[in-house]
Amino acid sequence: MGALDFLFGWAFLVPLFPALAFVLVGLGGTRMKRFEWGGWVAVALSFAAMVVGVLIGVGEMLSPGTYTDTSTVWLTVPGPVGPFPNGFSLVMGTLVDPVSALMLIVVTVVGFLVMLYSIGYMHHDHGLPRYYAELSLFLTAMIGLVLSDNLLEFFLFWELVGVCSYFLIGFYYEKPSAASAAKEAFLVTRVGDVLFLLGVFIYFATYALAGGGAGWAAAGFKFASGNGPFLGSLVTGASSPTLTVAGLMMLAGAAGKSAQFPLHVWLPDAMEGPTTVSALIHAATMVAAGVYLLAVTSLFLGFTPTDQLAIVAVGGFTTFFAATMAVVQPDIKRVIAYSTISQLGYMVLAVGAGFTMVGMFHLFTHAFFKALLFLAAGSVIHAVGTQDLFKMGGLRKHMRVTYVAFLVGALSLSGIPPFAGFFSKDDVLASVYSQLGAHPAYWPFFLLALGAVFLTGYYIFRAFFLAFHGDRPRDAALPAAHEGPWVMRVPLVVLSALAVLAGLFVFAPPFAHLLAPGFTVGGIAPALQGVALGANVPPVYGTTDLALSAVSVALAGGGVLTAWRLWGNGRVYALPEGSPAAPVRRLLLNRYYMKVGYDWIGQRAVYSVARAADFFEQFVIDGTIRGIEGTFARMSDGLRRIQTGVVSDYAAYVVTGVIGLLLLLLFLGPWIVTALGGG
Amino acid sequence: MILEEAAFVALGGVAIATALLALLVRELVHTILWVAVFFVDLAAIYFLLEAPFLGVLQLGVYAGAVTILLLFGVMVTRKRIFSREAATGIGPVPLALALLVIVLVGTAASVVPSSAQPIRPYDVTDLSSTLFVTDGGWLLLLGLTMMGALAGAIYLVREGRE
Amino acid sequence: MTAIPPVDFLALSAILLGIGLFGILTRRNFILLLISIEIAMNAAILNFVVFAAYSGTGGGIGGQAVAVVLVGLAATEVAVGLAIVLALNRVRGSINVAEATTLRQ
Repeated sequence: MGALDFLFGWAFLVPLFPALAFVLVGLGGTRMKRFEWGGWVAVALSFAAMVVGVLIGVGEMLSPGTYTDTSTVWLTVPGPVGPFPNGFSLVMGTLVDPVSALMLIVVTVVGFLVMLYSIGYMHHDHGLPRYYAELSLFLTAMIGLVLSDNLLEFFLFWELVGVCSYFLIGFYYEKPSAASAAKEAFLVTRVGDVLFLLGVFIYFATYALAGGGAGWAAAGFKFASGNGPFLGSLVTGASSPTLTVAGLMMLAGAAGKSAQFPLHVWLPDAMEGPTTVSALIHAATMVAAGVYLLAVTSLFLGFTPTDQLAIVAVGGFTTFFAATMAVVQPDIKRVIAYSTISQLGYMVLAVGAGFTMVGMFHLFTHAFFKALLFLAAGSVIHAVGTQDLFKMGGLRKHMRVTYVAFLVGALSLSGIPPFAGFFSKDDVLASVYSQLGAHPAYWPFFLLALGAVFLTGYYIFRAFFLAFHGDRPRDAALPAAHEGPWVMRVPLVVLSALAVLAGLFVFAPPFAHLLAPGFTVGGIAPALQGVALGANVPPVYGTTDLALSAVSVALAGGGVLTAWRLWGNGRVYALPEGSPAAPVRRLLLNRYYMKVGYDWIGQRAVYSVARAADFFEQFVIDGTIRGIEGTFARMSDGLRRIQTGVVSDYAAYVVTGVIGLLLLLLFLGPWIVTALGGG
Repeated sequence: MILEEAAFVALGGVAIATALLALLVRELVHTILWVAVFFVDLAAIYFLLEAPFLGVLQLGVYAGAVTILLLFGVMVTRKRIFSREAATGIGPVPLALALLVIVLVGTAASVVPSSAQPIRPYDVTDLSSTLFVTDGGWLLLLGLTMMGALAGAIYLVREGRE
Repeated sequence: MTAIPPVDFLALSAILLGIGLFGILTRRNFILLLISIEIAMNAAILNFVVFAAYSGTGGGIGGQAVAVVLVGLAATEVAVGLAIVLALNRVRGSINVAEATTLRQ
């Protein structure tokens, strides 16, 4: 620990800035017309959060280590309770370590830029106080999640970002499609959340049953200090199947949040929300929370080999699976949404293969270039008022800034050097490749991920050419395109710069410390980083790695060229009649019929169970209750008749009671006297 | 001895008879007359039980004051004082209840040992010391109750209150 | 000295109580109701006096003291009862208790 510890002590302040914005704008936003309905308040406070957040990030770079503050006790359970002889307490603490510092930088920077962009993008919308308040609340929750120091606190913020996502997807709640998309997102992620909570309980129970170490007895599911999984070493009593199940539960939670197969269906529909929301929540931060969950689990709790295989399988498969659906999408935002799912798959893949920091690196770069792509797409949508790629065209001439920004984002996403996406994706592939010898079962998923590189280059440039190239819009009814105001252009420029530089940050020695642990194998980035760090990390970039980089760049370039052949220069490629690819296209457009399948499950399977439950409720439970109620009603109807109001009648009741007492005394009196021991 | 037993039988019989008559005669004023006789008769029984102070009290309070009060009440509430509302018959249920109480209380009384003890001679000093010293609290309580009752009665009959 | 057993007095008291109760249950005229209560009350007082008389030398004059208090109480009760009769008569024009059913509400 160094001289910067005092800085980490102020980490709790970071989420408080947007929380203040939430309160101010939420309560008084309608009276802040001069501040763009509170928008500038939210921007200012998110700027403050960014300043402190980046300061903490820089502090962590200069003084790497794990800093925890557990002074805020939420709940104390006095002992002895179960296996805790001294009881235990639940803490709302903060944790700053390399991973969370990285996330903190991503969340606060992208959060501020998106907030600023919103001023221009959302200017014409109604309900802006609601928008800014909810976005600020989201930022609060997301920062809180990043800084959580135990699983329970993590889960609380996790749910909070989920509900903010629900609010913001349904921002245009008058639109039925938006309302149903919000519900879908909430319910699908809920499946993962429930399993995640189950996993939290399993971890807690495991530690509790194992007696817990000194640190664990205090808070059973705390993210412990230290660098590396030590679950197995600490919890000797924990059986491998239990930990495997717990790890799978974590994977399920991450799959729900990060839209991994088979819980990916909600993310494309979540594009019903404002584009800014898509950029912040559904590209850069919240969906990355799933990967972050896997990362902290892998760092602090550890996965079993079975878990790792499952994670690799889910990530690798999703990478390719989502990319295929992006290929045929006519909607510019949905193309980017599928690419998000696909890229999240890369991160999950890397974490599963055991390279947590590699996954986090890709998360870091992805956050910037994906937010950039979304904001550029938002700029286009803002200009032409449609999301349909086949109506756009020729926008290059009117929107130079957006054009360049989208190009930078697309190149970065495709993995063309020297853009940020190249370094991180290359690193992911290299790290998985390094494990193929030890785990042959990873092979198919590695190949799928490699194939997805080609598809990525193809689909993003298909969208790029469709929107920006050609002479004029294909739909003549579109309004004349124009660039947005400065508040929209500035974030585009800043994010463009970051999309280029984020990959190069790795080479800056202070920054490299964030990625140092577990960042030693494969890929060009660690090799260069090794050079940057000096002798600490040996460069391991060999011929195989070079070949792999070449293959990946070649695949990406091939994808870009294919896109140019089919769509470049205003061309619109149509499948020939009777092409064998037509059914495939239909399958992809229908998203592999998975939504239909889920709907069938919902409508048939669940509905019939619900009907049976309804029958039981109506006739058995309600019948019983109604029967009881009817009996009492009849009894009270009879009893009511004796309430005549005539004094003599009441006297008669009293006399009857006295007679009863007398009888009781006469017959029971002797017995009572004996029972009391009297004579 | 014989004389006393004969006196008891006569007085008891008169008590029962007058009580019944008071409830069964048709005229309200006759009822009050019979009740007056009942009270006097009971006073005589107290004398028989060597409790002359109580007997005198009974005569003064009951046979005197209460009877006059009742008579007064009848006169105020009845426009024609010698009429009464149709007498209600002897309902079987109240009769049964009353008989049951008599039987049960009688049964309970039969537990009392019947070995005739001498009746305690009356001692007025004893009674007054008990009343005013030993059990003074009861008298105090009675006084308070009477005061409350007085206030309540005045409140109830105050004119102009509806 | 008397040879009358106390049970005889108690039996008389029980009978008078029964008559009083019977009156309370059947009579609808409020004044008759009051009279019935007085009869029952007298039966109770008689009980106290009997027990006082037969309590031997150990002290039992307390029974007579209670009886004195009860006589006062009964007189009070008659006074209040009559006040109620007057109020009832003024408000309802009748002192038939069967008509006074406002207790029901």
